[in-house]
Amino acid sequence: MSSVIETDKLTKLYGDLLAVKDLSISVESGEILGFLGPNGAGKTTTTRILSGLIAPSSGHAVVSGMKTDRTPELLHEKVGILTETPGFYERMTALENLLYFGGFYEIDQLSQAEKYLNIMGLSDRKQDKVTGFSRGMLQKLALARALIHEPEIVFLDEPTAGLDPEASIEIRNLIRDLKNRGHTVFLTTHNLEEAETLSDRIALIRTRLLVLDTVKNLKNQLFKPQVTVELESVNKTIMNAVKGLKIVKNVQQEKNILHIDIDDPESQSPILVKRIVEAGGDIRTVSEKHHTLEDVYLSLIREEKEKVDESD
Amino acid sequence: MMNRTNQKKRHPIAHVIRKEWLITFRSLNNTLFITLVPVLITLQILLYIFLVLRFAGADLILDSIIGRAIEKWLVQFSVPQGLSALQRLQVFFFSQFPIYQLLIPCMIAMSFASFSIVEEKQTRTLEPLLATPVRTRQLLLGKALSGLIPSIIMSYICTVIFLVGVMVMGSRELLRWVLNPQWWLSLFVLVPLVSFLSFMLGVSGSSRAQDAKSAQNIAVVVILPILAIVALQILGFVVFSPAKLIILSVVLLILNWIMLKAAERLFKRETILIRWK
Repeated sequence: MSSVIETDKLTKLYGDLLAVKDLSISVESGEILGFLGPNGAGKTTTTRILSGLIAPSSGHAVVSGMKTDRTPELLHEKVGILTETPGFYERMTALENLLYFGGFYEIDQLSQAEKYLNIMGLSDRKQDKVTGFSRGMLQKLALARALIHEPEIVFLDEPTAGLDPEASIEIRNLIRDLKNRGHTVFLTTHNLEEAETLSDRIALIRTRLLVLDTVKNLKNQLFKPQVTVELESVNKTIMNAVKGLKIVKNVQQEKNILHIDIDDPESQSPILVKRIVEAGGDIRTVSEKHHTLEDVYLSLIREEKEKVDESD
Repeated sequence: MMNRTNQKKRHPIAHVIRKEWLITFRSLNNTLFITLVPVLITLQILLYIFLVLRFAGADLILDSIIGRAIEKWLVQFSVPQGLSALQRLQVFFFSQFPIYQLLIPCMIAMSFASFSIVEEKQTRTLEPLLATPVRTRQLLLGKALSGLIPSIIMSYICTVIFLVGVMVMGSRELLRWVLNPQWWLSLFVLVPLVSFLSFMLGVSGSSRAQDAKSAQNIAVVVILPILAIVALQILGFVVFSPAKLIILSVVLLILNWIMLKAAERLFKRETILIRWK
């Protein structure tokens, strides 16, 4: 796979305010990159630079083989953008809105507009003015607008913000479908569950890049695999038996619950269970502790805050 | 995956114009404002000329302060002394129409051009629009021309109405003096040039404004010099001879070119996207 987005020490200043600093990332073709960070972290600024809407203060970004600040008009042929609060012309119908935006590209506007209205499930409302559309319908229409020219790369800024659960699921399915159809998706979101389920990799920024990796790797780097065993009671014999196992890295007792660090819970849990039973333990439940992207996110953001506080 | 055909893409400027017309003429208020108000202004001018001449009296006007300026104008345009005082005044007042007509595009520009970019900001369509391959010049020209074309068409329709009024109030013979070179130059050169300038000023003001009200305020300020020219000419204090009009037209042409360049520079995509909330 080849990179379709490459940034090198991308920096953006608004006057004295540093919005993005030395951001160097690479996104592969066909990948969904979850782009996360707290409010004011520089996510929207980065998205705008990468989509050729604003220029970086220093460093550079190459998107679809083009420097983003050189020929933005050409770049706009290759990228599509879904803004956080998409707007439409209220006196125009859904179809007319799509035809207008699609009219700036070398495409068959009508068939492309019809195609995406169909994909988004809005065909039966195409002749309706957008004033009567729900937030979910507007979001789908905005997604259709971002895709009408079949862009290689799609920038999605908070695609499910403010949507009800049903509409959110539909939008997520559409995003998955984008990947299946070969689009590269740059997904900016505050919804960590959404980012975890959709993204191939996660980039976490807070003005500068904190991490860029798969969710699995990030979890492994930050949290040790752990098995939680709940017993009727815990005694010294059981504790010694567990500690005596070579596979066990660490054990913590919390009343009648043991938190046991092991390398590979899936293959090593049966060995652990067998030893506890042999030591007379009466097991109630055994479970592997699952860390979510939220744990990763909060841990990294806390770590970054502490670093900043220390340096201040 | 890509559905590209031989379907001919409309020129981006024409595309912007078409959309602006679609939105504008779907509103009854806007349609009436563009079509009815210029006609009412024209009828008002005719009524004003009729009332002044009917009740103030031609001799009284020619004896007043503006009378001297009017005489100066009549001499410059070789209006024969043989005409009656009333006819001489009719020629003067009727001949001012093309200058008066500059008010029509100014008025439409203030109302529409000044909102053109602000409206895109308010409806949050500007960012997706700027994310398309449309160039700044194409967008600004499209916005300006979408108002300019109907206002010029209305100017010419009003001219026909006015000339009918001239024939009804005066006589067909008077047209010989009214339709002088100044009239034609004003109508076919000055009106389009001033209109374009008004619209570009309006669109530029709109791209710099933070809200609709300030956009309109900017437009009013920049259009004041144009209104001043109209007032000076109508009162007869400045006589725009054909030679002066040609010079004025060249100056306006240069101003239009400068304004187009300035409008592009003033339209700072980054500032518009970042500062607008």
